[in-house]
Amino acid sequence: MRNPVGWAALTAFSLAFFAFIYAPLFVIIGYSFNSNPVNMMIWEHFTFDWYAGLLGLADRTTDVSNRAAYVESTGQMLAALRTSLTVAVITTTISTVLGTATAIALARYRFRLRGVYNGFLMLPMMMPDIVLGIGLLIFFVTIGMNLSMLTIIIGHCTFLASYVFIIVQARIAGIDPALEEASADLGASEWVTLRKVLLPQLAPGILGGALLAFVISMDDLVITYFVSGTGDTTLPVFIFGMIRRGVKPEINAIATLIILASVVIAALGLWLRSRKTD
Amino acid sequence: MAIRRQSVVLGVLLAPVTLFLGFFFLLPLLIIALYSFLSPGLYGGVEWTFYHWNYGRIFGWADGINEIFEPIYLQILWRSLSFAALTVVLTLILCYPVAFWVSRLSERWRLVFMFLITLPFFSSLIVRLYAWLLILKPTGLFNTALLSLGVISEPLEILYTPTAVVLGMVYVMVPFMFLPLYSAVDNLDRAQVEASLDLGANRVQTFLKVILPQTLPGIMGGAVIVFIPSVGNFVVPDVLGGAKGLMIGNLVEQQFLSARNWPFGSALSMIIMAVVLTVLLISVTRARKAGGHA
Repeated sequence: MRNPVGWAALTAFSLAFFAFIYAPLFVIIGYSFNSNPVNMMIWEHFTFDWYAGLLGLADRTTDVSNRAAYVESTGQMLAALRTSLTVAVITTTISTVLGTATAIALARYRFRLRGVYNGFLMLPMMMPDIVLGIGLLIFFVTIGMNLSMLTIIIGHCTFLASYVFIIVQARIAGIDPALEEASADLGASEWVTLRKVLLPQLAPGILGGALLAFVISMDDLVITYFVSGTGDTTLPVFIFGMIRRGVKPEINAIATLIILASVVIAALGLWLRSRKTD
Repeated sequence: MAIRRQSVVLGVLLAPVTLFLGFFFLLPLLIIALYSFLSPGLYGGVEWTFYHWNYGRIFGWADGINEIFEPIYLQILWRSLSFAALTVVLTLILCYPVAFWVSRLSERWRLVFMFLITLPFFSSLIVRLYAWLLILKPTGLFNTALLSLGVISEPLEILYTPTAVVLGMVYVMVPFMFLPLYSAVDNLDRAQVEASLDLGANRVQTFLKVILPQTLPGIMGGAVIVFIPSVGNFVVPDVLGGAKGLMIGNLVEQQFLSARNWPFGSALSMIIMAVVLTVLLISVTRARKAGGHA
């Protein structure tokens, strides 16, 4: 850009844009250390009480002096976290297999319904989650299936397979089929070629797709909200319920831990991508 | 095995996804369509008789006996469409200049800011919305700051208003608009821009005649990706909107989890689905046409 004033204005606007994205997160982090339990927006003094309460470390016998005794739901929260992790690991596995198999089929075979499949696999990603959520809810109730962790897993897989598919498909597009042709010419069966030649080359794409599926599964709120029963809830649904019941200081502490975890995962993703290009 | 016609392996590769999505994606959508034409039972169930009044109740042909027409549903539908459209416009205005700025940075800073824009994808939606609850509530950060600075004498009521809902949606959707825009801006042919300026076109003309047409696919892509999840959104209005910020997604949720009128909730979902499919269809045909001309 030739105009320095214009560039300065653009820079100011852009930095304000990033401040808009990040300031709210820093608000949460800051106030998770504020000891004021009545109006958490007015700074009292620095404390780790909310974290101690969350982790169940707070001394609950000294009720008045120790404000972290407010936390009555540590057990529920940890159970929700456990459910989230279990669901995410299982759905990531299933959707990675489904998505990868589909991507290979569409990239390496010509068949009549290929275009239809390509479009069809976009639909679960584009369908608003509320529609998918209530569709699954009616479906499960109609066939008499109890809402449980299994229904949450099924719900997540319906749209995560498509995400994995997209990522792996992009990776296949960059792979030269010559190696596979050579393998076939040298007498390897179709199956062996797929396993020994194509899959190893696809590994970074598959890993990327799996990571994306894991992250989205951990964060899904709407579909889980509709297909989870009274028993198992995931962490986002648990926090949603907590927020609906009213703002409490402990939520700041959970939220801060989640922000921290997401920074770690994003950095991991970046590291994986930079390794891929080496 | 590069390109084969049909084989057992193809069947093995495609069967799982076909069965899975057939059962747990297509069938549920078909069931919604079916339910939307059934009549609600007395205690939350359904009765298996053909019943078009679920739609009549929304669009105005209800006879007052089976169902009563209430214009509130059309109002809420209109509000959902306009909030989603507003979200598209606002995210576009925010992201377009920033995408330009990032594309002109040095390699190193570009990586830093691209990381910063993708980070929200990895962080929790509900946590990011909760932050705005803290900021906007009457005793929240925004009002506390303005009050202590003496700008206002009474807390502003922003939370539980349409403003809060649109703000929340813009906040959540910004990264989705940014990425397609950025790739369009980054692929911009700079020689053409230079040529336009050298040949005497001013900045506005260059923008309208060279830059805008070249980045239009990115704008359209971002618009679709932002509009679709916005129109059926129920979490943002649930957390930040009050009665005046209610959207069609909230209406669906109410019908399923509190009012227990599943056929009516299904009819409302069918409307969301119809809107989404229309938008997708338009964008696909437009993209085809644009591709054909190029």
